[in-house]
Amino acid sequence: MPAPSESESTRTERFRVLDHALGDGMIVAALIAWYIYSTKVPEYIFPPPVAVGKALAGLFSDPVLLVHTLSSVARVVAAVIVATVLGSALALLSYYWPITRDIVHSRIKPFLLSFPSIGWALLAIVWFDISNAAVIFVQVAVLLPFCLVNVSEGLRELDGEFLEMANSFTRSNPRTFRKVIWPLLYPFVIAAMRMSSGVAWKIALIAEVFGSRSGLGHLMYQAEETADTPMIFATCLAIVVLFALGDRFIFEPLSRVYRAQPVAPRV
Amino acid sequence: MTDPSYAGGRVGFQMTPALAAHAFTVAVFLLWAGAASFIPAYVVPSPLAVGSRILELFTTNNYLKHGLASVLHVVSALTAAFVIGLFLAGTAHYLAFTRLLVHERLNRFMNSFSALGWTFLAIIWFGINDFTVIFAMTAVLLPLVLTNLREGFNQLDAEIIEMARSFGRRRIRHFRKITLLLLVPYIAATVRIAYGVAWIISLAVELFGGSAGYGYLLNRARMEFRVDMIFAIIAVIIFAVYTTDRFIFSPLQNHLRRQYAGAQ
Repeated sequence: MPAPSESESTRTERFRVLDHALGDGMIVAALIAWYIYSTKVPEYIFPPPVAVGKALAGLFSDPVLLVHTLSSVARVVAAVIVATVLGSALALLSYYWPITRDIVHSRIKPFLLSFPSIGWALLAIVWFDISNAAVIFVQVAVLLPFCLVNVSEGLRELDGEFLEMANSFTRSNPRTFRKVIWPLLYPFVIAAMRMSSGVAWKIALIAEVFGSRSGLGHLMYQAEETADTPMIFATCLAIVVLFALGDRFIFEPLSRVYRAQPVAPRV
Repeated sequence: MTDPSYAGGRVGFQMTPALAAHAFTVAVFLLWAGAASFIPAYVVPSPLAVGSRILELFTTNNYLKHGLASVLHVVSALTAAFVIGLFLAGTAHYLAFTRLLVHERLNRFMNSFSALGWTFLAIIWFGINDFTVIFAMTAVLLPLVLTNLREGFNQLDAEIIEMARSFGRRRIRHFRKITLLLLVPYIAATVRIAYGVAWIISLAVELFGGSAGYGYLLNRARMEFRVDMIFAIIAVIIFAVYTTDRFIFSPLQNHLRRQYAGAQ
């Protein structure tokens, strides 16, 4: 491919600058508009950015509020791990035991995918009362199909030649799984966890509104009842921050582990 | 389906995945009925009780009005999200300098903002009414629509667009006659995905911010401990999502994929 001419690259650079000027400039403009509008309406309708910033900082620094934030974090971590294990187990069940294929993919998967999260939340209170178990149950029920779909996709994409080669070296299924299937499946499992964590943060709010007396969802519900609009904004933004931090400091390194590891080094 | 095989003069049945799935469904129903016979009805209602509540939902005028309200909310939010999404994705496609703003800033923000957050803010801003429900649902559906349509615009066949340009310079005409037709498979896929999500989130949004709809009924059932009604509403939603996807969207998408295969 020929190298771009100087005028082309200058034009591309100019467009890039224009993109950023518009993209980032609009954020600044939106913040200014937000500030101006907030001075004209009551705080419970539209709080000023400073009030939201203070509430957001409080969620990570005030000991009482920090307990709520950490409770949500702990539940999301637990739910993502449990959902990944159960989703992977179901995907592997249908892979190694084909008779269960339709049970998993034509019954359990569509059922879970179309089950509304609010339905799980209401049933969880009836079944588990207001507790951590209720919140984690709701999150796992919602995340499970996402993990199942991702891991199943990974199993479908497994290279048949690799598997055949592995079978020619050993007849031990656990060994083949550990040395060949797991490294090939790893990116899909990480993708499943990554996707699940995004969904889990959104579901956490709904689950905690009904099923818990702690957590960001509970705080948000209390804020709505007392018209504490800065706290509603702050809890939404806290979730954006927590998701971004998790993605950057947990899932990014985890996905690099796979890249650094050679696939099936010694069979 | 059973697959009869004959061996040594005896008729044998081979277990197939489909047969196993049917057996699983029957087993789950039996298990449910069995559990409901000794667990209190407010914890696990019997299939019969849930069945009669489902029947009520489709035969009682008041419940039918709520069902209609939910349909209205879903259709309105889908339409609004679609119109706004198409406008934004089209703008980002045709005006390259807006891409970062639309896809990297606006879409990312909308995508990471919680549905419950939108609902609570909408309640404070607009009160408890149909507009609140449609607003919150549209805000949740918009990033989904935008992401899918962006993919559609990215996959447009440049040669066909260039050929169209050689026939005329009118952009609106190109868009209507060529671009929109090339986007049809992506539009269909977007509607398919967004429809399921819309029904599922409608319950949460109506529960908090609605004065009508299945979500509103769900909230009443929750307060009155009518678990059979909660089960019935969930069953109706699952039925609506699953059957529409299976018998309308899936065949429609297959048809469009075949029809537009050459264009993509």
